[in-house]
Amino acid sequence: MSGALEGIRVIDSTTMVAMPTALHIMADMGAEVIKVDSHTLFRGEGGVFPENDPGERHWDRDGSFNTLQRGKVGVTLNLKEDDAVNAFKDIVRVSDVIIENNRSGTMDRLGLGYDALRAVKPDLIYLSNTGFGYTGPWRSYAGIGRMFELTCGLSQFAGYEGEGPRRVGISFFDQHVGWMAVFAVLAALHHRDTTGEGQWVDFAMYQIGVSTLGDAVMDYISNGRSGSSMGNRHKYLSPHGVYQCKGDDRWIAITTENDDQWEALVDQMGSPGWAQEEKFADPILRWHNQDELDQLIGDWTKDKDQADLAYQLQKAGVPAMAVMDGRDFALDPHIKEREFFERVTHQPETDIGTRLYFGRPWKMSKTPAYIRRPAPMLGEHNEYVFGDLLGIDQGEIAKMYETNVIGKDPINPGSAKPTNLTRQIEQGVGSTIDPDYRQKLGI
Amino acid sequence: MTKTGLGQFKILDISTGISGPFAARMFGDYGSEVIKIESPQLGDPARRLGPFHHDDPHPEKSLTYFYLNSNKKGITLNLETAEGRQIFKDLIKSSDGLIESFGPGYLDSLGLSYGEIEQINPKIVVTKISPFGENGPYRDFQGNDLLYQAMSGIMYSSGAYHREPLKHGHPQTLWMAGIIAAYAASAGLFTAQRSGQGQYIDLSTAESAAAHHYTSPVRYIYNGFIERRAPKNESGSTKGVKFEGIVPAKDGYMGPTFQWGRQRGNYKDYVTLLDRPEIDDPRFASEADRQQHLEELDTILMPILEEMPKFEYFNKAMGDGWVAAIVQTSEDLVNCPQLDERAYFTEVEHPVIGSTKIPGEVFRLPKAPWSVRGVAPTHGQHNHEVYGELGYSSDEVVTLRKQGTI
Repeated sequence: MSGALEGIRVIDSTTMVAMPTALHIMADMGAEVIKVDSHTLFRGEGGVFPENDPGERHWDRDGSFNTLQRGKVGVTLNLKEDDAVNAFKDIVRVSDVIIENNRSGTMDRLGLGYDALRAVKPDLIYLSNTGFGYTGPWRSYAGIGRMFELTCGLSQFAGYEGEGPRRVGISFFDQHVGWMAVFAVLAALHHRDTTGEGQWVDFAMYQIGVSTLGDAVMDYISNGRSGSSMGNRHKYLSPHGVYQCKGDDRWIAITTENDDQWEALVDQMGSPGWAQEEKFADPILRWHNQDELDQLIGDWTKDKDQADLAYQLQKAGVPAMAVMDGRDFALDPHIKEREFFERVTHQPETDIGTRLYFGRPWKMSKTPAYIRRPAPMLGEHNEYVFGDLLGIDQGEIAKMYETNVIGKDPINPGSAKPTNLTRQIEQGVGSTIDPDYRQKLGI
Repeated sequence: MTKTGLGQFKILDISTGISGPFAARMFGDYGSEVIKIESPQLGDPARRLGPFHHDDPHPEKSLTYFYLNSNKKGITLNLETAEGRQIFKDLIKSSDGLIESFGPGYLDSLGLSYGEIEQINPKIVVTKISPFGENGPYRDFQGNDLLYQAMSGIMYSSGAYHREPLKHGHPQTLWMAGIIAAYAASAGLFTAQRSGQGQYIDLSTAESAAAHHYTSPVRYIYNGFIERRAPKNESGSTKGVKFEGIVPAKDGYMGPTFQWGRQRGNYKDYVTLLDRPEIDDPRFASEADRQQHLEELDTILMPILEEMPKFEYFNKAMGDGWVAAIVQTSEDLVNCPQLDERAYFTEVEHPVIGSTKIPGEVFRLPKAPWSVRGVAPTHGQHNHEVYGELGYSSDEVVTLRKQGTI
């Protein structure tokens, strides 16, 4: 059987991380996702390049871009031109869904707002992603994923104990929003399939975030309490934290949730005398004496290998896991057996070769999802979309290239340099560079 | 009334904790009939998970349970009894989706494997949420939020250079898996509606967390670089500039700028925003200039920001097109003018808690909208209604209860 969204065509008029994430998952599920890009905009300088080499087509070689755009069909349209706006509408005519994340009002100004597009495709599902939604006093405020970690209330919980809040190192908020957009589009598709009606979805990042904090918000409503940071500790469980292991910056997470798990941990530690002391006799005492407990467990873990120890503890029934970095996770045996990463071979022109990309955290038994193609090169599918799909003849397409309505090479490509990785290691944003990564990954 | 959107589906939620119940609530919020099945003895362990209303650890007062199980009907059922399993099969017959989070192999051991469920109802979509998925060497491992944050790389990427990796304080990985389960189940239902074919979805909570953090693996896979959690010049920002992290404001904390917003690179504009022309300084004019003088910049800006009330700064900066953030507390969220104008909170009446309000609409879907149709059920609240629909008389329901089947 084919993918769950086979036969659904979706227009991707988005940038950044959150919505591209939603759209690449829809592509994995078999939707034809057409990413509308532009060759007239600045293509940026930074990037995560293969072998740290920007190469000849650096705009097609960024690892983050290639992760977020995988599986999509790519066209370019210079929407400053009327012909491009008309071509955009022609794509809408043969599509089911459009997702856009421009500031409110931008699509209207381009003549591509909901009313304009509904006129050409009455049952269109049109999702507008903004920071705060289309109504309310904050409606015109900008929104990017990273700020919502703070503004949605998540940061009130994040930080070392006794200190102020601290940003989490990654922008996981974008993904929350992306997955929720997939749910929203599917709800609208279910509605369309039963009624024939399309609709406009007002999709605000802010509200998605607050929805994942329902328990905290209700704590304030009921008890007048706001959150505070507890580091890695837990309100009533101890041990609950990370402990240093053998090597540079290697750690293991260990927790026990009941007496059986605690006994198993004590057993694995070789039943040291201190573990029999009265002050660690029950969960409440262990929680009250956790400073000392953490010290003692840390003394035991510090000369052990993080991965071996985690495996050993789990086999004995103790919740434990290595604190993994990007390499640990990419090479983890469980993740390998689950085939969480998929091998994707890029177009020869990009000179990227084969890379691994994360798949999905689920497996559907009858409609398996997979990465159907590498991220498109700029304008790669102009001929397919404008020619095969819309039926524009070759002469017309040639004219579109001539008048810069479409293009395959960026007008302002910028100049990309390799990242100074050694300097980044010195600054501390990286721990090391592994020269054998390709061999270890089998690419 | 014709059932449209998610309103056409009946979902059985036999999951516990946070992830599965959150996924099922999403369906309930947008119109599905969701039946929450709990064990007759203690019910969902989330009933014993805080915070509690007025800090009273009563099983009907868990606010976590309350939030996650609104818009559901609640029944009790003991799958360890033969009659209980028969009733479960009857429920499966008339349902579109099942969300479960039992340990690996538990339903199989009761004769309720997906193969058997499929025999009863080939169209049903079964979403199984487990810690590490249904295969692989960690399949039977214990999982919890701390371990998922450790495995996914979220922890290694968070915290200070010289200190231990830092977990996010809220058990966010469990909520992440809930959102993912909701869309995956909905995709399964989309196929089922079109082809009549249901399926089994195997969802790993650890992988759900990892799917939120592609950046570190990508750097390794592209050029062997192993990302670490923070620069040595400790600050909470990747660039080492304190004010691009979280800084103290007069009455809390804020993130004053994210990449300098619209006016990226222009220090003069920032000085104008702060209304402090005297600190304009050519040393900071461009992004490259600032990189040479990070510490001086912090020394000048931090004391100014520390004197500013966070909402005043936020409204001014955002109103002027900058990208700024404030660390909102739960109190701020409950009193938020933006959420208020978008009618985010709904007044409800709970049989044990009484009058209160609950947070709500996730996104605006005008033709198949979000709504509150019922607050979280008390333990077994809808036994008579749901079992009545299956054909059991009121007396029979009482007997089933006495036998411990429900």
